[in-house]
Amino acid sequence: MTEYLALARSIVARATASQAGLEVEALIMSGSETEILVQSGAVEKLSQSGSRGLGVRAILRDADGGRVGYAYTSNLSDTSVDETWRMAAALAQIATPDPYRSLPDPQSSAADDLEIFDPAFAALPIEQKIDFLKRVEAAALAADPRILTTQNCSYQDGVTHVDLANSRGFAGSYSRTFAASYLYAVAKGDDGGMTSGIGIGVSNYFADLDADTIGREAANNALDILSGELMPTGRGTVVFAPFVAAEILTYLAFALSAQSMQRGRSFLAGKVGQEIGSDKVTLLDNGRMPRGLASAPFDGEGVPTGATKLVDEGILQRVIYDTYTARRASSDATPVGSTGNAGRSSYRSLPSLSPSNFYLQPGDQTPDEIIAAVAHGLYVTNIMQTGGINPVTGDCSMGANGVLIENGKLTRPISGVTVATTLDDLLKHISAVGTDLRFVPLAGSIGSPTIRVDNVMIGGA
Amino acid sequence: MISHETAAKVLSAALRTGGDFAEIYVEDSSLLSLGLDESKLEQATRGVDGGAGVRVLFGNLATYAYTDNLDETSLLAAAHAAAAAGSSANGGAPRTIDLTTKTSPLDYPVAKPFDTLPLTDKAALLHRVDATARAVDARVRQVSARYEETHRRVWIYNSDGAAVEDDRSFVEFRAQVVAADGNVTQFANEGFGGRLGLELFDANDPLALARTVAEAAVRMLDARPAPAGEMMVVVCNGWGGVLFHEACGHAMEADFIAQGGSAYAGKVGQRVANPLITYVDDGTLPGRRGSLRFDDDGTPAQRTVLVEAGIQRDYMYDLVEARRAGRASTGNGRRESFRHLPMPRMTNTFILAGPHDPDEIVQSVKHGLYVKSMAGGQAELAKGDFVFNVTEAYLIEHGKLTAPIRGATLMGNGPAVLSEIDMVGNDLALDPGMGTCGKGQSAKVSVGQPTVRIPRITVGGTA
Repeated sequence: MTEYLALARSIVARATASQAGLEVEALIMSGSETEILVQSGAVEKLSQSGSRGLGVRAILRDADGGRVGYAYTSNLSDTSVDETWRMAAALAQIATPDPYRSLPDPQSSAADDLEIFDPAFAALPIEQKIDFLKRVEAAALAADPRILTTQNCSYQDGVTHVDLANSRGFAGSYSRTFAASYLYAVAKGDDGGMTSGIGIGVSNYFADLDADTIGREAANNALDILSGELMPTGRGTVVFAPFVAAEILTYLAFALSAQSMQRGRSFLAGKVGQEIGSDKVTLLDNGRMPRGLASAPFDGEGVPTGATKLVDEGILQRVIYDTYTARRASSDATPVGSTGNAGRSSYRSLPSLSPSNFYLQPGDQTPDEIIAAVAHGLYVTNIMQTGGINPVTGDCSMGANGVLIENGKLTRPISGVTVATTLDDLLKHISAVGTDLRFVPLAGSIGSPTIRVDNVMIGGA
Repeated sequence: MISHETAAKVLSAALRTGGDFAEIYVEDSSLLSLGLDESKLEQATRGVDGGAGVRVLFGNLATYAYTDNLDETSLLAAAHAAAAAGSSANGGAPRTIDLTTKTSPLDYPVAKPFDTLPLTDKAALLHRVDATARAVDARVRQVSARYEETHRRVWIYNSDGAAVEDDRSFVEFRAQVVAADGNVTQFANEGFGGRLGLELFDANDPLALARTVAEAAVRMLDARPAPAGEMMVVVCNGWGGVLFHEACGHAMEADFIAQGGSAYAGKVGQRVANPLITYVDDGTLPGRRGSLRFDDDGTPAQRTVLVEAGIQRDYMYDLVEARRAGRASTGNGRRESFRHLPMPRMTNTFILAGPHDPDEIVQSVKHGLYVKSMAGGQAELAKGDFVFNVTEAYLIEHGKLTAPIRGATLMGNGPAVLSEIDMVGNDLALDPGMGTCGKGQSAKVSVGQPTVRIPRITVGGTA
């Protein structure tokens, strides 16, 4: 047992003994991280450190239900640790009791290797990471003479150790590694106009990252839309690149959570068992995908993770649950279990229901084949939106850049247009799904192939 | 905080490999957050977070190491790690550091400290907000409300001999209401906050807020889908300034300027906006969320005129970018916590009042969109394109506000919009104080503007 797991268990034991009816969970997250920024071939920022912290969830149970209090600290001295669990128990007093609030019982978990810990990481010298990042920037600058400069060319990695124990007897630990690099490449056209494009690579394993691919992707994304113009306003077909489609799916993932459903904050509330999309739409959440960015042996409250099919060929089958929403959805006749989707981004926060590795199942057409089948439309490589895609109302409106499709061919760059539909319409009008599934580190890890959506409103000139 | 003696020893250690500047950033933060949903107080969190970071500058290279332990051994270990990550040709001749406490005329006194109201009263306030919002209309389905107080103390010691302190108290309150009628669901979200204590509630009534938010959510149930295409847009005063924060403010931060990829790079002295536009960043305003005594580099906060009557005058600098440019910092160095290096960030950023009566601006529009409230936005900095989601908007027909509109996105180009704005109201207002800016790190900021008229912008609706 790790030193921190022993500490977590000891906190649980002390807090539980202090007061009758108290359920307690202690989480310790510790680790180290590196961050590097390169500009014009020189390192400008280099940060390397470790940190750790404790979060304690106390649930005070009585006949009315459970009341939750939460406290955290970055200081693991004996005094601070004791203050923290006492504070969590004290805060529970002001919460409103809820019959479904309690901790999960321990469940056995498969011992499969999730490949989330890169053993090579510890021996990786800083010079190798710096060299990698310099090659990312160089690849972007060398991709085309029109690439002027890069912005935020950065590398981050880290090792995180999770130690979690609760008063129902759960105790578990795991470690994960991640390495990520991203940058913006800035392109300047003959007309003096500039655009920027992002390139990104992220994995649990350093060796999975490829400097050339990341740098070139940024350059291509900037060049694709250089000197872009508006297109006429009207309804049409839109093909979304995987990176963009994954961003839209993020909001769908939240609409497919039991929390949003139970609280009337999902446009899909009450639609389980119904057809919500075309037969091309199969959506899955898999917390045990090997090398998944959001994979873990157990979730943020100690429940084993698993694979859940949410939508099967357009039919909404089920949603994702944590312990609270599962208890609330259960009846004696039809018990519902947590799907292991209690997310935990930090020791500073309570577990919250969220997707793990959530993705649209790939289809059988290559992206080129999908584009070749479009007579007239827009290939969207980049979107901008903040709140325009909304899982509560189902609105789906965004700014877009991309390339015009004419007679199956990509012709000229388009920028500054808007693309609008509703999430409901979008799901029903997905008419082609590509083979090129790609995961993006958003809200866990969201994946999509290229998708074709018909009947979308494009706002332009 | 740490003693000047310890700080001097740590700074000397940090310079041992020849760094030309060293700094210790010490932070002690605490938070209380209460959240209500479904009429239940279901989230009550307290937390403490603290530690120190040591930064060493070697020309344009900044090295950094941090620790959550403030004893001398841990601080020296961080100093050695930061020193070892860089080196300099001029070696590391031992330097003695004499620290002197610098004061600032700026102060943000807290009239009512957080502990003057018992925890149970803060919880009761959330329950009253819930009941008030639900009483507005039977179509109110969900109410959530949140109270948050943060106390963040920072101490900065550097090898120039400066020792400074900033004691920052923030409080914020917000409410969200979901209303539903048949298949239509809408919501509204509003709040208030600032750099101050519980006196925030003397000037802002949470129950009035509850009614306003509930009424807005219910009103949006009758909204019709937004039109698509280019149209004239009037953006109301206050939070609308977020549009310029994203589309123009970020592109005037000195790191983007130095990287050469900003639309505003090299434009000092040149016309970048309509002469009606004066754009200012001011970190010295009492009670505002972006206000600072000293920034996170230890530079006193100041007011910086970025654009004056349409002419670019200056950019926003932190210490590192000021050194690179061979000039003084504008006090815009900010960091999320002791785990982060500072970077140039906005504080309170706004467009100054212009000559037009806001009613006259609306009356001048034959056919257009009146934007009352929007969610945050996003911008691309090289070209300056931006997008905003509108959360409350109305059609303007023949100079009058008519139907509420849902699901609109505004898409435009920052430099173009700043040039094309042709009416600026005399009603400058700052936002209600809940803004958080994300640029890799989060920072509390404020934005503001008077009512403005934009002759042409793409509205992305479905109709």
